Amino acid sequence: MDSVELILASAVRLAVPLAFAALGEWIAERAGTLNISVEGMMLGGAFTAVAGAGLTGSASAGLLFGVAAGLLVAFVHACFSHRLSVNTYVVGLTLNVLVLGLTSFLLLKTESRQVDKLTIPLLSDIPVIGPALFDQRWPAYLLAALVPAAWWLVRRSRWGLEARAAGENPQSADVTGIDVNKRRRQALMLCGALAGLGGAYLAVAEVGTFNQNMTAGRGYMVIAAVIFGGWTLRGTLAGVLVFGAADAMRLALPALGYTLNPQFLVASPYILALIAMTFFATTRRGPAALGRPFVRGIT
Amino acid sequence: MSMPPSTEHARSAGTAAPAAAVPSVELRRITKRFGSVVACDDVSLSVRPGEIHGLLGQNGAGKSTLMKILTGLVVPDSGEIMMAGRHVEVNDPQTATALGIAMVHQHFSLVGRMRVWENAVLGELGRVDRDHARRVVNEVGERYGLAVNPDAYVDDLSTGERQRVELIKCLRRRPGLLILDEPTSVLTLAESRELFSVLRRVTTDENTTVILISHKLDEILHATDRVTIMRGGAVVARRDTAGTDARDLARAMVGREPATWTAASAVGSMDALVQGGRAATEGDVRLRLTDVRATARDGRPLLSGLSLHVRAGEILGIAGVEGNGQAALGDLLSSLLDLDGGTVEVGGSAVPTGEPGAMHRAGVGVVPEDRHASGCVLDMSVAENLVLTDLDQVSGSVLVSPRKLRERAARLIEEFDIAVPSPDTPMRLLSGGNQQKVVLARELAARPTVLVAAQPTRGLDVGATEYMTERIHQAARDGIAVLLISTELEEILTLAHRVAVIHRGAIVGEMTRADVDLERLGLMMGGRAA
Repeated sequence: MDSVELILASAVRLAVPLAFAALGEWIAERAGTLNISVEGMMLGGAFTAVAGAGLTGSASAGLLFGVAAGLLVAFVHACFSHRLSVNTYVVGLTLNVLVLGLTSFLLLKTESRQVDKLTIPLLSDIPVIGPALFDQRWPAYLLAALVPAAWWLVRRSRWGLEARAAGENPQSADVTGIDVNKRRRQALMLCGALAGLGGAYLAVAEVGTFNQNMTAGRGYMVIAAVIFGGWTLRGTLAGVLVFGAADAMRLALPALGYTLNPQFLVASPYILALIAMTFFATTRRGPAALGRPFVRGIT
Repeated sequence: MSMPPSTEHARSAGTAAPAAAVPSVELRRITKRFGSVVACDDVSLSVRPGEIHGLLGQNGAGKSTLMKILTGLVVPDSGEIMMAGRHVEVNDPQTATALGIAMVHQHFSLVGRMRVWENAVLGELGRVDRDHARRVVNEVGERYGLAVNPDAYVDDLSTGERQRVELIKCLRRRPGLLILDEPTSVLTLAESRELFSVLRRVTTDENTTVILISHKLDEILHATDRVTIMRGGAVVARRDTAGTDARDLARAMVGREPATWTAASAVGSMDALVQGGRAATEGDVRLRLTDVRATARDGRPLLSGLSLHVRAGEILGIAGVEGNGQAALGDLLSSLLDLDGGTVEVGGSAVPTGEPGAMHRAGVGVVPEDRHASGCVLDMSVAENLVLTDLDQVSGSVLVSPRKLRERAARLIEEFDIAVPSPDTPMRLLSGGNQQKVVLARELAARPTVLVAAQPTRGLDVGATEYMTERIHQAARDGIAVLLISTELEEILTLAHRVAVIHRGAIVGEMTRADVDLERLGLMMGGRAA
């Protein structure tokens, strides 16, 4: 029973940074950008958050630096892929390599700084789910507001309607009078802010320092989560939790005395994503214009 | 030297339209070039308030470009737009909407995976109010007889229903000017009539001005008050509908006396086609489809138990409203679609489906519906495009022989009268008609026993249409079994020996050309058994 509680708590803890980024990725994909650079956004966010925390002496302020770094990466990506119509995958990969190189080059030694834990009294004592849901670093609770906000923005707001139209059928959206590329840029900026926050959370909430390539493919895991979730918010979050759980198992199983091939466990989130895609490939479709640049006037 | 409005009015005096002093919309001396092509050449158009104004012309005459200018999708090089006597600048679709201009596009501007009400409010400003939007869809639907479920997904609607959504989307904004671009190309006869009665109601009840773009004479004569005829990017004639007839319009539109049935097909006059059926020949069955079934990736049925057969020397026309399985049928015979059940037999032996090249090897030639998507490679040369499906002719197992390639290209270019400066010219630089000739030449050069022609004259001018029509006829005379898939009933009536009607992925009825009864055909196309 104890170990279940432990693994669940660890799963949620590991899923939190993914969840921030996945919210952003979900928004960006619904607007039609398959945003590869979410990895770079997270890594940049993590690095800048630690640097910012060192600079200001406050781990919480570091989070804002992380958001800013995510926004910067998103801005560059948005300009290239939705102003100059450069292939979004090429832009994304370039940015990822660039951020990885830059953060490795600038790698700095700082003392460990972490944001505070916020343990909610009583609720955190609930067996099994208590520690998982109510004993986390404080920024994790932002998700409680961000998730419904993101859902409302995409599913209910005027902006979301137009962004989804931009992702489904940009030609139609254009004819209807929607600035397709502007909506896509805006969605990408939202993704940058959220992914930056996710990366920052990883650095200043979970780990406390920055290590070279510390996101280690978490951005790609986020992309897999959106696909796993069939481009629904619920599914995406479920995907994030599943991947978090797989990660937690990797850490927990050896400690609990099970011997399992660690390489296999590292790969398990991706194997899960592949299996999920096999099952959903025929039934779930992403936004129809996902990943395709929109250029006006081509009919 | 702009066309003075007073002359316009003097010429058309005597119509029932109210004698308004100021035209609702006026385009003055509009010119637009795309590269070296002049899409609109000094075009002036004047439309009165509350009239239905026809804009008639062949494909490529510049009608659509002119209307895109009016809706802010295309910015003209020169010229002026006046609305109710005042100069306006329409530089983007938002401005057009603000000016009360709404357009129903030929290819609908709907987002398939959104609900009807979501589509209805798309492009507006302000908060999204679902209940209000639903109510509006129902109200507008009721007022004009355009019933549609506001919560349905557009993807699940028939093309006729989609057009209703498109109309509701326009009408709910109470536009002063409503433009419809080839609105009947996706409708059955009955649906077209319904549409025209809605348009009439809109003009008389609310004094909305309507511009109806069409290349079909029948509907221009039936539905409009006045008509402006365009050819080659310029206005060539203006008429009061009451004072003209199909022959007069056809002459103005084509620029010469049109040949009998070929041109009748191109200009959409069915009167000329109702008589005169040719008897089918009694050849062997070359193509037989038995109870074929297929589903789309997302589970929607594409073909549901379709059966047909085509004999050597016969042209079987597949009539139907667009989106009823024609595309799937074409894909099936191009080996692009795998079946859930049923068989395809060519020349008596079964052919595996969905296996690349199998149909072609079995002797099926296909002129596909969308020549740009699957008919040719636009960035390759004409010579290369001419051998794409038949590489054995010009290559060994490894090397392509440039000499053979050129020789073959030269021969086909001559035989099929393709206007092209050199075999090395990129396909992209050819006109639509010549591109289609390349596709047809390639398919016929492979000596097929079955020829599938899907929308073979879509987007072609009259000359190219006549050529394609004649070639397809020739193919049948040469003993090829021809399957003609077309949503243009005129084209079917022109060419086919036998007509089968496709509806929801199955053949719902069949008649020989001599027995064709338009009323019955129309009912079948609408899915009502007759």
